[in-house]
Amino acid sequence: MSSGSMSEDEFIGSDYDDLNSQDEESDMEYEQTEDIGFSEVVTEGQRRRAYEVEFTVLMLADILAAQASAASHVAGILGVTQEQATALLRSFKWNKERLVERYMDNSQEILDQAGVDLNDTRPRVFDRPEGFTCGICFDDSGSAVGLRCNHLFCQDCYSNYLTQKIVEEGECRRIGCPEARCNVVVDEQTIKKVVPPSVLTRYHHFQDRAYVEDLDNLKWCPAPNCENAVECRLPHSSFLTIVPTVQCACGYRFCFGCSMGDHQPAPCSLVKMWQKKCADDSETANWISANTKECSKCQSTIEKNGGCNHMTCRKCKYEFCWVCMGPWSEHGTSWYNCNRYEESSSTDARDQQAKSRASLERYLHYYNRFANHEHSAKLDRDLYMKTEKKMEEMQRTSDLSWIEVQFLKKAVDVLTSCRMTLRWTYAFAFYLARNNTTELFEDNQRDLEVAVEALSELLEKPIEREKIAELRQQVLDKTVYVGSRREVVLEDTAKGLLEARWEFNTNVEDL
Amino acid sequence: MTGICQSRLAEERKQWRKDHPYGFYARPEKKPDGTLDLMNWQVGIPGKPNTPWEGGVYKLVLIFPEDYPSKPPKCKFVPPLFHPNVYPSGTVCLSILNEEEGWKPAITIKQILLGIQDLLNDPNPESPAQSEAYVMFKKDKVSYEKRVRQQAKDNAP
Repeated sequence: MSSGSMSEDEFIGSDYDDLNSQDEESDMEYEQTEDIGFSEVVTEGQRRRAYEVEFTVLMLADILAAQASAASHVAGILGVTQEQATALLRSFKWNKERLVERYMDNSQEILDQAGVDLNDTRPRVFDRPEGFTCGICFDDSGSAVGLRCNHLFCQDCYSNYLTQKIVEEGECRRIGCPEARCNVVVDEQTIKKVVPPSVLTRYHHFQDRAYVEDLDNLKWCPAPNCENAVECRLPHSSFLTIVPTVQCACGYRFCFGCSMGDHQPAPCSLVKMWQKKCADDSETANWISANTKECSKCQSTIEKNGGCNHMTCRKCKYEFCWVCMGPWSEHGTSWYNCNRYEESSSTDARDQQAKSRASLERYLHYYNRFANHEHSAKLDRDLYMKTEKKMEEMQRTSDLSWIEVQFLKKAVDVLTSCRMTLRWTYAFAFYLARNNTTELFEDNQRDLEVAVEALSELLEKPIEREKIAELRQQVLDKTVYVGSRREVVLEDTAKGLLEARWEFNTNVEDL
Repeated sequence: MTGICQSRLAEERKQWRKDHPYGFYARPEKKPDGTLDLMNWQVGIPGKPNTPWEGGVYKLVLIFPEDYPSKPPKCKFVPPLFHPNVYPSGTVCLSILNEEEGWKPAITIKQILLGIQDLLNDPNPESPAQSEAYVMFKKDKVSYEKRVRQQAKDNAP
């Protein structure tokens, strides 16, 4: 879209290109010969890998330029000024075609709706009109402001009113005349003449925000303090089968569908379900119901971890039967065998408990691995911080140059992104129904996991001066390998989603 | 803004005394020392003739914020009213009384009261505020009307 924009390829490329020194983006034939692992993709005539989407990063200047170019186009067609065209476009959420069509049908209605007054020379501020009393403060001195509806209010009240709307309510689309039941929209000329400059700046700021928010194919980068937007032209309906991961120029990778951090390979709807599951305490409650009962005297929660049915509460010393929860004294001579319950109901209860247990264990299996990778990624980062200091020192004392000691940073970056991917593969796997394709997925997942752990271990090795060249080579090799394992996982899952090869044990479309 | 709040309310009172719709009343409360408290008003709204609301005069308090007229007053039926758009606390839910919806600083007290009077027999089912009146209004119009007539009798001046 403009000079400030970059494509995904450049970013993905830059992660690896001085590792495997290949230029992945410009020359396809070159890529084909260099990178055998992906030749299949290229020969299919696809330029992108299955897990990548096309997008553009827009800086503030690009956003302004895009608005200006749309406005000048419309201004030319409708014969209005650039500013009027901008206001009209805003009220139509930047849908040029619809605006032009509706404008041709009924231009006055459209102008009124957008608060555009073609008569730009009409005065907005009147100096002490005769017989004027402000309907807000009931004062009759000073100058008055009014729109084409001729509802006049004093300049102070008007300014206060607009400031309140803009600064406190963040309104920039449609501010109405302050008169009760009057629907005339305050035009930008009036706002410019009435409000102080700081409020006007704020007003323009909101308008730019509204531009990005109004367009479905634009999203703000969610990273703190980042003012860029990302454009992605995929339809929202495709996000069930594509994980639209984009990377802002600031370096932050996020999902265009839900604005969360990169969650490949799991699609947005699975991520939402998984997070809900992890956030609520349903599994805790499940555990308690599966494993405990309450003492019928003091209500303490008791887990029975073995032994017979004769229970003695640790807390209140109450003796009771685990099966019927009745007092043990009533069991008389039928020691250790409660025959009060029918056989079937107690086996049902046991089945239920077993089911609860199995479902809990399954969840914990995936959750532990999910959480563990997040935690490990943090530890990897910490380790890197420590190592970096050492590297700096090494750079000073040995003949290694700055660029040569950068391999560690690259390794940690790749490691972190791999761990993030691995983490989401576990959420993905939790919802995956077993069929003959799941095995392949699990193999890929395992290969990546093994490679990641190996690299992580390598990074933990103490750095010795004599062995640094050797270590560097090992780390470089592993880094490249880990990166390629990650691509295999992403490629396979993304293709599977597109081909509807995965079966989920829950209804993904529901969300 | 406090300055404009007081002067605007003083002017509102002047205008009201000069002219107000039949059957309504509106007066600022008195402070313990006998002076007028312009920030809190007691008002009464009559039910419209030829509606089940006829015969009652419904009492409200209007509580004006410091930044009135930038922000609308809070309007509260005392005691709370049986009506789909009145919260259990008595607060009225009406678009012109919502600063982010229809409130405009030029809306006068007279217009507010007339707006609430209109709302009485013309509730807005899109924004229910209490379940009792809302459910009855939607499901059992006969009982609803009976209840409203009884309420009118109870609120006869």
